[in-house]
Amino acid sequence: MTEITTSDAPIYNRLLAALPAGEYRNLFPKLEQIPLIYGENIYKYNEIISDVYFPDSGIISMLASVGNSSTLEVGIIGREGIVGLPVFLGVKISNNEAIVQGEGSAKRMKAEDFLIECGNGGTLPRILNRFTHSLLTQISQSAVCYRFHLIEARLARWLLMTSDRMETGEFPITQEFLSNMLGVRREAVNKSAVILQQENLITYSRGNITITNRRGLEMKACQCYAIIKAEAASFTV
Amino acid sequence: MSVVKHEDDARLNHLIAALPEDEFTRLKQNLEPVSLSLGKVIYESGELLEYVYFPTTAIISLLYIMENGSTAEIGMAGNDGLVGVALFMGGSTTPNRAVVQSAGNAFRLRTKALQYEFGLNGMFQKILLRYTQYLMTQISQTAVCNRLHSVEQQLCRWLLINHDLLQTNKLIMTHDLIANMLGVRREGVSIAAGHLQKRGLIKYVRGTITMLDREGLETAACECYKVVKEEYDRLLGKYISKNI
Repeated sequence: MTEITTSDAPIYNRLLAALPAGEYRNLFPKLEQIPLIYGENIYKYNEIISDVYFPDSGIISMLASVGNSSTLEVGIIGREGIVGLPVFLGVKISNNEAIVQGEGSAKRMKAEDFLIECGNGGTLPRILNRFTHSLLTQISQSAVCYRFHLIEARLARWLLMTSDRMETGEFPITQEFLSNMLGVRREAVNKSAVILQQENLITYSRGNITITNRRGLEMKACQCYAIIKAEAASFTV
Repeated sequence: MSVVKHEDDARLNHLIAALPEDEFTRLKQNLEPVSLSLGKVIYESGELLEYVYFPTTAIISLLYIMENGSTAEIGMAGNDGLVGVALFMGGSTTPNRAVVQSAGNAFRLRTKALQYEFGLNGMFQKILLRYTQYLMTQISQTAVCNRLHSVEQQLCRWLLINHDLLQTNKLIMTHDLIANMLGVRREGVSIAAGHLQKRGLIKYVRGTITMLDREGLETAACECYKVVKEEYDRLLGKYISKNI
């Protein structure tokens, strides 16, 4: 756990940044600065959500459970959002899993404090409503993406969304992880990665992905990327 | 669209029925009954929404439209739900199309009245927020289903949901329509339906699907049917009286 800075420090999380200064100052003492560690479980299926997280950096992946053992990614959240939205919607127990997919840091708040803040008549609920809409768009897009798009296009989209949230064109990722995220076997991930590499869009070695041609990767990605991005960009409170 | 029913019938919608008397009394003067015909577009992708809809006997489907025009259903709402979540989430437009999938009645509420009542922090707001969480699960599960399950499993799931919402074992439905909902080719639907018919689970004659063996369909459906149904009960069950 790192020492928390003052409320005057720059605010990286976009939802917190959208709050009026006075409201953020009131909220600030209840926020705890924590690191997001790669692979860490933020919350598990069927568990009480005790805290909500506002990422400053990094990525958290939301996984729906499939059968008893497997999972499938339905959305990712970075500094544009909050993890633990069900608490705001009135639901305490999670029906999916959230894990850290890209390391970074977040501000964490106890669920009960968060609910009190939501009920205080400030701007926070409006911001959260708006984010709910964005997240619904993203999840809807995932649903159709799984139906219609090729693995390569999905991989390209996923790499772009990750790169946007990590704010870097280079990040570590294992094939096993990608296979869980995209809902396909490792061999299929490998094949697609090789194709993207042959087309000089990425390089992939020793668990590190580097995007070498972002424009080209955007062309390769399915339309879902642009739609999700446009929705996030239209975010106004 | 024509005016059809008395406003008290709005309580045929389970979410409306869950409201306490005072909230319902305030709301009902603004609830406008409408009759919805099969295939009617309630709103178009990217269009500004004016109303939220609470179906009483109709089923409305949320369809995603791809750039090349192909469609796939991501969720649906009958008397268990509402259409137009974007309106109280401050998003005013949605990237999907809402289409009447089974003709019937609904009550609609204008944006202003909706936002006013939603802003009162009462049961209405609580129910709508919980319903939103439910919708998120429904759509997430569609993602899982699209990725992992066969057309036949999906068809079973889809028939069961319709059965639950309509409370009848006869559905008026063409293979074309089902294909658009499931986002597969018509032939895929025909093969799957033929299979289910051979197994004695359904009968399909001239655009009418009759469910013959509900238990059998539940077994043949993917887990998604149960996951979504249980989530509804978990999130909204305690507010909704079982005997409507």
